[in-house]
Amino acid sequence: MLFQEASVNTFNYMLLGFSAILGIMALFLISLVVRFRNLCRDLEQLEGNDVNERT
Amino acid sequence: MEPIPKTLKALNWITSALLVVALYLVLFYAPREAVMGDVQRVFYFHVSVGWVGGLAFLVTAIAGGVYLARGDHRWDQIALASVEIGLFFTLANIISGSVWARPIWNTWWTWDPRLVTASVMELVYIAYLLLRQGVEDPDRRARFGAVYSIVGFISVPITFLSIRIFRTIHPVVIGSGDPAAMGSLNMDPKMRVAFFFSLFTFTLIYVTLLWHRLRLQRLAERVEQAKRKVLSA
Repeated sequence: MLFQEASVNTFNYMLLGFSAILGIMALFLISLVVRFRNLCRDLEQLEGNDVNERT
Repeated sequence: MEPIPKTLKALNWITSALLVVALYLVLFYAPREAVMGDVQRVFYFHVSVGWVGGLAFLVTAIAGGVYLARGDHRWDQIALASVEIGLFFTLANIISGSVWARPIWNTWWTWDPRLVTASVMELVYIAYLLLRQGVEDPDRRARFGAVYSIVGFISVPITFLSIRIFRTIHPVVIGSGDPAAMGSLNMDPKMRVAFFFSLFTFTLIYVTLLWHRLRLQRLAERVEQAKRKVLSA
């Protein structure tokens, strides 16, 4: 278009936008992994206690 | 712990590969928008994560309804898992929208109907998680969660329709050519490919994450059972 403004440089905002989306998704994945590890450790300890009490 | 099912392993690889392809399409295949420049590319993922947020809350409401009808706790687990995913994706949607708004609207935040309704929706589901914690009896907690998820779902269509009902500056890209919207765009065929591919990819990511979250829930139940066993011994 004749009087349309030339596109401004918004590259840094684009990087920030993608970082926010992918960062939040990564945060959820990390929280899943951490909770999984903690629960596995708890389960091992509890099942170890159970075996010790039986013997 | 039971090993990861083969289908879930395959989904992990497929969704990772699809995300890489989606990034390629969004960053290199789709053309740069003439007025907004590169920041417009955020739109493809911004809408996709918003869609996943709404889908996750819809699944929560359906799972809540099925729980009320059948009383099977597995549906309560699905509802809880889905809410958590929905909260993360809606947060990503709100923050990425704010980043897009800074150069386009010249502000990080404005009290526009869409931004307000999306934030209220996020708060409604944060309250779902907090209030669930306050109920000790598992049956009552599940019943409460089910009713809350059905009532809370009202916030999702309100958020979706807010830009069509109220006077707003938020663009309506699909199904409207409102010239007053600041930041509206007409998608060309390449943009459409990037957009629909991103939507599909994020939907598959949601399915994969939901499966992982449900496995975590099952592990947490096993730990609870083991605790009860140790305490009763």
